[in-house]
Amino acid sequence: MAILLQLLFTGLGIGAIYALVALGFVLLIRAASVVNFAQGQFSMVGAYLLVVFFNVLGLPYLLSMVIGVVLMAGFGVLFAGATYWPLRHRGALPVIISTIGASIFLENIVLVLYGPSPEVLPGVFDNPGFDVGPVFMDSQYLTIMVAATLLVILQYFIFEKTLLGKKLQATSQDKEMASLLGIPVVTMVLITFGYSSAIGGLAGMLVAPVLFVSVGMGGLIALKAFAANIIGGYGSIPGAIIGGVSLGVVETLGASYISVPYKDAFAFAMLLCFLAVRPQGLFGEKISEKA
Amino acid sequence: MSVNLASARIFRGAPPAVLACAVVTVLAFLAPADGYYLNIFMQAATYAIAVTGLVIVLGYCGQISIAQAAFFGIGAYGVALGTVDFGLGFFPAMLIGVASAALLGLILGIGSLRLGGHYLAMVTISFQQILTLVATNWIGFTHGPDGVRNIPRPTLLGISFQNGHAFLALCLVMLVLVTTAVWRLKTGRLGRAMQAVRDNELAAGTCGVNVFATKVIAFGLSAVVGGIGGALFAGGFQYISPDQFSFNESIVLLTMALLGGVQSPFGALVGTGLLIVLPEWLRFLRQVYLAVYGAAVILIMVFLPDGLWGLMLERVRIRSKPIVGDVAPLPLLGERGRESEEIVLDLQNLAKHFGGLKALDGVNIAVRRGSVHALIGPNGSGKSTFINVITGLYRPTAGRVMFAGQDITHAAPHMRNRAGLARTFQNIRVFRGMTVLENVMVGAERPGNDIAENPAQVVERALAALDFVGLRGDAHRQVGALSYGHQRYVEIARALASSPQTLLLDEPAAGLNLTEKQELGLLLRRLKGHGLTILIIDHDMNLVEQVADHITVLNFGRRIADGQPSQVLANPDVIAAYLGEPRHEAA
Amino acid sequence: MLISRRHALLGTAITSFAITGRACAEDTIKVGVTVPLTGPAAEAGQFMQWGATLALESINGAGGVMGKKLEVVYEDDQTTNPGAVLAFSRLVNRGDCAAFLASIRSTQVNAIAPDVIKAAKPVMFGGTDPTLTHSGNPWLFRCRPNDTFSARVIADYGVNTLKKTKWALVHSTDAFGNGGKNAMLDNLKKLNIEPVLVQGYTNQQTDFTPVVLAVKQANPDILCSYFTFEADLGIFGRQLRQLGVRQPWIGSPSIINTTSLNLAGPALWGTYGVADFNEDSSPVAKAFATTYMTRFKKQADDLSTWVNDALHILALAMNNAKSTEPQAIRTAILAIKGYAGTEGTYNFDANGDGLRGYNVVRNEKGKIVFDKHIEFAS
Repeated sequence: MAILLQLLFTGLGIGAIYALVALGFVLLIRAASVVNFAQGQFSMVGAYLLVVFFNVLGLPYLLSMVIGVVLMAGFGVLFAGATYWPLRHRGALPVIISTIGASIFLENIVLVLYGPSPEVLPGVFDNPGFDVGPVFMDSQYLTIMVAATLLVILQYFIFEKTLLGKKLQATSQDKEMASLLGIPVVTMVLITFGYSSAIGGLAGMLVAPVLFVSVGMGGLIALKAFAANIIGGYGSIPGAIIGGVSLGVVETLGASYISVPYKDAFAFAMLLCFLAVRPQGLFGEKISEKA
Repeated sequence: MSVNLASARIFRGAPPAVLACAVVTVLAFLAPADGYYLNIFMQAATYAIAVTGLVIVLGYCGQISIAQAAFFGIGAYGVALGTVDFGLGFFPAMLIGVASAALLGLILGIGSLRLGGHYLAMVTISFQQILTLVATNWIGFTHGPDGVRNIPRPTLLGISFQNGHAFLALCLVMLVLVTTAVWRLKTGRLGRAMQAVRDNELAAGTCGVNVFATKVIAFGLSAVVGGIGGALFAGGFQYISPDQFSFNESIVLLTMALLGGVQSPFGALVGTGLLIVLPEWLRFLRQVYLAVYGAAVILIMVFLPDGLWGLMLERVRIRSKPIVGDVAPLPLLGERGRESEEIVLDLQNLAKHFGGLKALDGVNIAVRRGSVHALIGPNGSGKSTFINVITGLYRPTAGRVMFAGQDITHAAPHMRNRAGLARTFQNIRVFRGMTVLENVMVGAERPGNDIAENPAQVVERALAALDFVGLRGDAHRQVGALSYGHQRYVEIARALASSPQTLLLDEPAAGLNLTEKQELGLLLRRLKGHGLTILIIDHDMNLVEQVADHITVLNFGRRIADGQPSQVLANPDVIAAYLGEPRHEAA
Repeated sequence: MLISRRHALLGTAITSFAITGRACAEDTIKVGVTVPLTGPAAEAGQFMQWGATLALESINGAGGVMGKKLEVVYEDDQTTNPGAVLAFSRLVNRGDCAAFLASIRSTQVNAIAPDVIKAAKPVMFGGTDPTLTHSGNPWLFRCRPNDTFSARVIADYGVNTLKKTKWALVHSTDAFGNGGKNAMLDNLKKLNIEPVLVQGYTNQQTDFTPVVLAVKQANPDILCSYFTFEADLGIFGRQLRQLGVRQPWIGSPSIINTTSLNLAGPALWGTYGVADFNEDSSPVAKAFATTYMTRFKKQADDLSTWVNDALHILALAMNNAKSTEPQAIRTAILAIKGYAGTEGTYNFDANGDGLRGYNVVRNEKGKIVFDKHIEFAS
């Protein structure tokens, strides 16, 4: 029982990481119909920014995070200019491929700058965690869970309660109609890229103390976060959260009770099952590829 | 000169392929005796074979696959395990490897049934990851991460391929054969079907292409080709390990395909050759080189959508000669028709509900053979839903669709086309990546058409259909280069070439200017004169009045009038329905 | 194809020139070396080159080989297996290399093995997969102790020195981790011990809770680990301590490398590790480490030491044989007994294995302290 509880806690923590990265995906899918295969590298770049500002330049931790998140937002806009903008009228495939290219580029350029040895970042709190009954609660996992929850609330608030959010939603639903209504569609799409990149970067900074900062840190997480998106329902915000969390729990339990070496396979097998049986995911609308 | 270019087409590729086989065999033996060149050529040749598989699935069929390294690996493991652990000969082991790759490719293809784009990318990535995990962890079977050593090379018909030159020759000959086959595939019936699926799935289905089967076959073929490459790779390097077939290698193969140009197997050769030799040239970049590689992918997508081969072709494109000479007139016209009282298309109590919205609510329409039947109604009256239900793009909520005495209510779109139902679309759906002639050939070679099995006659039939709509001179142009009105004619020609019994025209006048509309009117009257059964949907009353024998009016999903044009247009309900509803001249 | 070949040749000529950085007019004896210059192991490639630099200076300073200078020629293996095959075959093609140094990665050595037989010249390598020298390839010579010895030393130290019998094994499922696990099982079996837990994991995990819980449940009195990536080791170590596992822990060499110490910090304090190189293990090792530190401002590690030893052994063998003829070099290498290198004392056996010992070291609050050198006769 103690073991199960510990595994559940860990699964939730890992799941919160997936959910956080999945949130970044969802926004882009909704606003620009883009699947960004470099989302994981956003997290990696974000974590390295924190290394630069905190470890190297010695700025305060929270200030470093804020600067990092702001820079990531700008980075997202640049990214859009390079990989999405020139290809936006050519369908999904070219954009998918160019974001894959971007992911290779980012990993290797950081590898050149920083080398292959991982960097260490301290957690947000000095205390590594505490025991609650038989369960050890890692404080960084708790931080990630809280951050994911706050971001969901924030995102809900922005989308449902602000004018900007309404405009973003309108843009994601029907670009032509939105532009007829005088909404600056271009700006909206760029804002979404910026926001998505900022969230991705923040996710990277939050997981850095758990996973260390390395060039490859984002790749596998992003693949799983994207799987979480499909499991939860393509383009659905609650879907991303539930999908991410359930993926984390399933793979942690699967690893413990079935096989550790095949841990990564559980996520992908779960994804394939969903695609075969319920491709619209838990919360998704029924997919129709029909125009 | 009559049209005999088509018969030449069948044998195109055979003599050059034989010649190329001979040349590469000689070259393989002339290659420097040192291991480096043998190795780099062997690597290039086997990779190029695998990349050619991507040309089929991604280039021709438009389905993204990020698992080509996995199929490459399955072929390689087939040979490695078959020869080393099970004592099979090289070729039987290769056969097993390639067959396993094909099987998994087919399964992956079946997975693509409902999925496209990003889903497919994700599925193929998952497949790739799982396969790597299995190869690494199933140690008892795959030897795990240590890999398989001492893989033997084959002996065939007394010829030993132990020697590096001989084995390289084998790889190159295989490369030539695969390249030729894939090149031929593009201009063949299956290849055209794949490209039709790539350019427009919906239209492909209504042209008689079995979209699902085509995708599955594309995946299967691509896996087979990948497996062949992998099998030869295993024989060439005599040692394999799981990390050689990882996700990263799939990305490398994808980049090779994109760089060279995914539309042609020659592009695959160019891309592979370049990316294998490039690291030599880019050595000065050292660590930055993989970053450059990633940036190159983006730049290729932005600036070289057709790859290097596409760029070369563009530079040297020879304008095809226009096809002159006589073609037999379209045979269907004037034979099958003759207006009669026989009901060819009978729609009984048809209903289609979208949630609470009743787009069609119990509609009965009977179309008589040889007549021109017009379906009109204000915007949102259910016309487009109606035609989509008839052609199988929507499943009806209730009711029956009877065509020539058969119940086709639940038949797939391509089956309806095979039964003799052809259509055009309101928003033009031509196959943009293909020429005008190829577009129409897709229609002509629908399974079940009288001439579908004879490639020469397919060309002839397509030219006849183009002749009929007046576009024969444009046969070799890319369809995207035509004006909007002419693209609509291409759609009509594509439908006519499939020898339909009944032609469904979905707002054919939409988007046409006045002159084009007049031309369209003339064309429709010519069709009518030949006695083809036509169901036309349009807002354009002028056009409808010119051609219709019979009019049905829909409003709010219900039939409000049906009968002779003069009666229907005088019907007060119809007038009421249109009151305050401006006539859409250009909807 | 002809054109591209000519260009490739040109490219090779230019790059070889650029990399060796000296004209080839001088009459030298050349050793071809495949190193990762690009890819994830590029940094390791740098350390290997530094090791070679020091070895050349010392060899040539002492008169070179048969009166000629020894020179090395590098080729990039791109950190991949196909890259290693190409790099090696390119070196063979030059035709002027008397011998070669291959990779420290076992799968790469496996990948080039068929070409090594064809080349029929001595190849020194650093991969520790035991089977590499046991597959009938006469041209492979190992300049590091193989994994059976690391496992033997771990088992010997754990059972005979620490007196522990209830073992748990945690290993990566890659070639290195798996080889280590098998060797551990063999050696423990010889000591009549059946481990209470054998747990594999796939490289580059985000979380090790399931593994740690498995260890905790098995409740061993000693833990042995074969980890490949430092980040994995760091996460595992931290979670192990968080979940309250405090038993003695002996790890494969990665447990004491600088990156692991940096990543895992206090989580690894008190652990034991085996190392093929430790600067306190012998005067030769100490001398090398000191020079290395002065020249490159880095702690020497096995990446540079095995290269250094390999070049010295080749030089010694050629000088003894008074020939660069492959078969003569081979015979001379196999005849080397009692050569004191930085990694230990080399006594080549018929298979081509030069070393049979490891150093056991201890992590004293983040500092690596030499504990014991354990050597086996065969």
